[in-house]
Amino acid sequence: MRFIRKTHYAQDINLFRHRGDVFWYGLLVALLLVAPAGLDRFYLGEFAQVFIYAIAGIGLMLLVGFTGLVSLGHAAFLAVGAYTHAYLMNLGVPLPVALACATVFSAVIGGLVGIPALRMTGIYLAVATLAFAVIVEQVLTHWVSVTGGFRGMAVARAELFGMDLGRPAPFYYLCLLVLIGCMFAAMNLLRSPTGRAMVAVRDSETSAQSMGIHINRTKGLAFAVSAAFTGLAGGLFAHRIGYLAPDAFTLLTSIQLLLMVVVGGLGSLHGVVFGAIFIGLLPQGIAIFRDVVPPAVAQLPGLEPGIFGLILIGFLIYEPLGIYGRWLKIRLFFEEFPLYRKATHKRQKSFLKTERLR
Amino acid sequence: MSLFVAEDISISFGGIKAVQDVSFTVEGGEVFSIVGPNGAGKTTIFNLISRIYDVDQGTLTFDGQDITRVPTYVVPEMGIARTFQNTELFDQETVLKNLLIGCHVHRQSNFFSDLLFLPSVRRQELAFRQRVEDVIDLLDLQRYRDQVIANLPYGVRKMVEVARALCVQPKLLLLDEPSSGLNPEETEDLSFWLEDINGDLGITIVMVEHDMNLVALASDRVMALADGALVAIGTPSEVQNHPEVLRAYLGD
Ligand SMILES: Nc1ncnc2c1ncn2[C@@H]1O[C@H](COP(=O)(O)OP(=O)(O)OP(=O)(O)O)[C@@H](O)[C@H]1O
Ligand SMILES: [Mg+2]
Repeated sequence: MRFIRKTHYAQDINLFRHRGDVFWYGLLVALLLVAPAGLDRFYLGEFAQVFIYAIAGIGLMLLVGFTGLVSLGHAAFLAVGAYTHAYLMNLGVPLPVALACATVFSAVIGGLVGIPALRMTGIYLAVATLAFAVIVEQVLTHWVSVTGGFRGMAVARAELFGMDLGRPAPFYYLCLLVLIGCMFAAMNLLRSPTGRAMVAVRDSETSAQSMGIHINRTKGLAFAVSAAFTGLAGGLFAHRIGYLAPDAFTLLTSIQLLLMVVVGGLGSLHGVVFGAIFIGLLPQGIAIFRDVVPPAVAQLPGLEPGIFGLILIGFLIYEPLGIYGRWLKIRLFFEEFPLYRKATHKRQKSFLKTERLR
Repeated sequence: MSLFVAEDISISFGGIKAVQDVSFTVEGGEVFSIVGPNGAGKTTIFNLISRIYDVDQGTLTFDGQDITRVPTYVVPEMGIARTFQNTELFDQETVLKNLLIGCHVHRQSNFFSDLLFLPSVRRQELAFRQRVEDVIDLLDLQRYRDQVIANLPYGVRKMVEVARALCVQPKLLLLDEPSSGLNPEETEDLSFWLEDINGDLGITIVMVEHDMNLVALASDRVMALADGALVAIGTPSEVQNHPEVLRAYLGD
């Protein structure tokens, strides 16, 4: 077990707590950097997809895991980002500029959605964001001149300084680079007042206000930031699928995104990565499942959303801290072996939060 | 001029007149206690001062400024911090993080500087941490620094809440039943800390308290309430021996 001797406050502020962290994360990034040498194009594409999920997941995690606001409509922000990016790319706007515009535009839309959402929490908010996603879907199908309607629109080739970024390896690197940038940005937010304000709003609005935190501004900002990350992911996603149509951004996509943050582990950025890997593998898993179960079951309509729902509920009941929480427990088990006690993770006492203001 | 003035404040919930026509002043530097039986309206007065509820009528003046209608989040910026009767901490976070949130009013950074974690943000974080550590030292919370609130016993939570309020560096500190849930030893420590906070840090304290020993020991003046109305104001012994107060407590 590692005991960290702290000699300076900066150690709690720095992103990496000690040399071990730097080593392991460095190793991970190094492996990811050399990976394209040994992977065939199919897996490169799958990895890029996981990176894109993770970028969107960071956005959703900031909203759900850190600000405590549920969204069942994040596919809409993915769509806003994807269509904005594709539209600008098709006009000949350079890739970085188009991506930046997609991010900013998504943020603006996110902020606007945030305004009516300020007064809502829980199930009401989930329904409101769902309604928003439906509206966006309608706009995508009916605003034919921009979106191509049902037929959809082709996305121009990803190109930068004459380099073809659409090929598997360069695209892989592009997504990885954006993901790393987003991770740093999110970690910076979380270790500074902006992120703490979000966490405060999540845990107690009354208290947050009494500490000088503007609740509405914080929630609105959380929506905008969340939409920005997801929109950015949408821009990359546009290149990944190559052809945009409304059916790529349905309720199922929103649920998949939510599944990612819940299964990964709410309230942690590690959880985003675990969750992204999980939903990246999920289609394979479901395909295998279809092969092994009797055809009558495999052909059931709504099998996929049903499985999503079951996984979601299973995690909420049995491992609310998600895969990341489970990983922490396993790690602790080995670190403390043979002293580990199951009760370590039992919360000692919880007080009922009734009559909180009296 | 008094630090805080409440003039004829009233509020009712449905038919219940929780506070009616209460007026009092708090002088800078004093410890002012509010006592009264359950349901007397003590916490409601705190909620009115910290602008969680709107007064139905009356005015609140702090430091020469009318705060009757300022938004809730502005109150701590003006220099009023509070604790809650049943603790309202950020339960999923560590003590350290809770106290850092207490520093929020002193924030100079904005979203974009936070996003990039500019050197100015780093300096601000170090300054916040220094302030937090000073408070941790004052209230002896070193042991709990990295523990998550949800795992802490009630008595410690109460002290963490006081610590968080101190991180605001307020001029006026509102403590709602700071000794409830504390054992006799902790209560004694509390009375010393109140002295430190009031004497050394020069913070004016208004506290709601049931423990009459603590009230008599720590406060300069006491206000007694019953059924939302003011019964008596004066020195602790004056109020304790006031016939109306005795009647309110014992019932007749
Ligand atoms: N939000 C509210 N809605 C309805 N009634 C309320 C509300 N807040 C307080 N009250 C009522 O106002 C009255 C005063 O309550 P308050 O909490 O101020 O009492 P208190 O003096 O703090 O009592 P205690 O010693 O039990 O904490 C009570 O009758 C209470 O039921
Ligand atoms: Mg009370």
